[in-house]
Amino acid sequence: MKTFFKNKQAVTIAVMISIVAILLTSTICIQVKSVEEYKKADIESLRDEELKAQMSLYKTRYEEAQKQYEDNQNKIKEYKDTENENEKAANLIEKELKETEVLLGLTEVKGEGIIVTLRDTDTEIYWADDIRNLLNELKYAGAEAISINGNRIINMTDIVKITEGYILIYGNTRIKSPYTIKVIGDTTYLTSTLNMKNTGFVDVMKSNGLDITVEESKNITIEPYTKGEIENKYMKEDEQK
Amino acid sequence: MTLIFIIVGCILGVGLGFLIPTIPYSMSNYLAIAIVAALDTVFGGIASNIKKNFDMKVFISGFFVNAILAILLTYLGQKLNVDIYLAAIVVFIGRMFNNLGIIRRYYLNKITKKKEKSN
Repeated sequence: MKTFFKNKQAVTIAVMISIVAILLTSTICIQVKSVEEYKKADIESLRDEELKAQMSLYKTRYEEAQKQYEDNQNKIKEYKDTENENEKAANLIEKELKETEVLLGLTEVKGEGIIVTLRDTDTEIYWADDIRNLLNELKYAGAEAISINGNRIINMTDIVKITEGYILIYGNTRIKSPYTIKVIGDTTYLTSTLNMKNTGFVDVMKSNGLDITVEESKNITIEPYTKGEIENKYMKEDEQK
Repeated sequence: MTLIFIIVGCILGVGLGFLIPTIPYSMSNYLAIAIVAALDTVFGGIASNIKKNFDMKVFISGFFVNAILAILLTYLGQKLNVDIYLAAIVVFIGRMFNNLGIIRRYYLNKITKKKEKSN
């Protein structure tokens, strides 16, 4: 081996060849490693033909997705339109319901009107008849809402006398003197009807010696009917129009 | 003796190859053709060594010049949109097979001569 190292020429040759060998083998290694990596990579590492194929594939996919998107957009628009219509219908129904409630007497109402106060005196008391007559007259005079002592008078309210000093409404609420009757309606018409000479309620009561006062007001609040649900067990809508 | 050097060099090269990071994708094409050119030169060197007309200068210069020339041709081919590298590969591999044939014949000759001698 020593002879070899003394031979300068041989040594240079050997060294140079080994350098070449190192270069070559390292280059081969690098290339192999790189190719392995590229195989794992995605679209960025493909060549022309494959790129073309991938592009057309992606293009069709995109077009399909686009179409899907448009379809979905149209559907959403349809649903929104239907929703709007439903909302309108719901609003209309709600409005109708509110109006019906007002007419039935289930809501608090305000307006101009009169307050009639009936007081039992020591000598004369009010009977259920009197109050019923008053209500009738008020309704005749165009009253839209009536309440006695805070109880709203609705369609089916009944007024019955049970004992001296007690009058019953709705079948279970007792009221007694003084009776404060609030009425909402045309003030002039109400007062003129009540105060009609000889036949108006006021005159009749006064001539019998009963205490009655009528007061006009620009702003009267009448409570809603709160005595429970209005039943209709026997009444059914007649379908025939 | 030189063989040991070569083998050591190869092992070192493998180790070095694992250490050096990978080449970016665009250049892998060039590197591949350079490897083919270099391999061809190596086998040419072995064959010339066997024929006893090994010239160090020719070997080293051929190694690098061929590699560079191959890379340039591939680059040109990409620019012209002509696959020039194909021709280079055909030539290099063709020569490689030639040289391998020479080496094979020589060693087979040697073996048959040895057998004849022993007989």
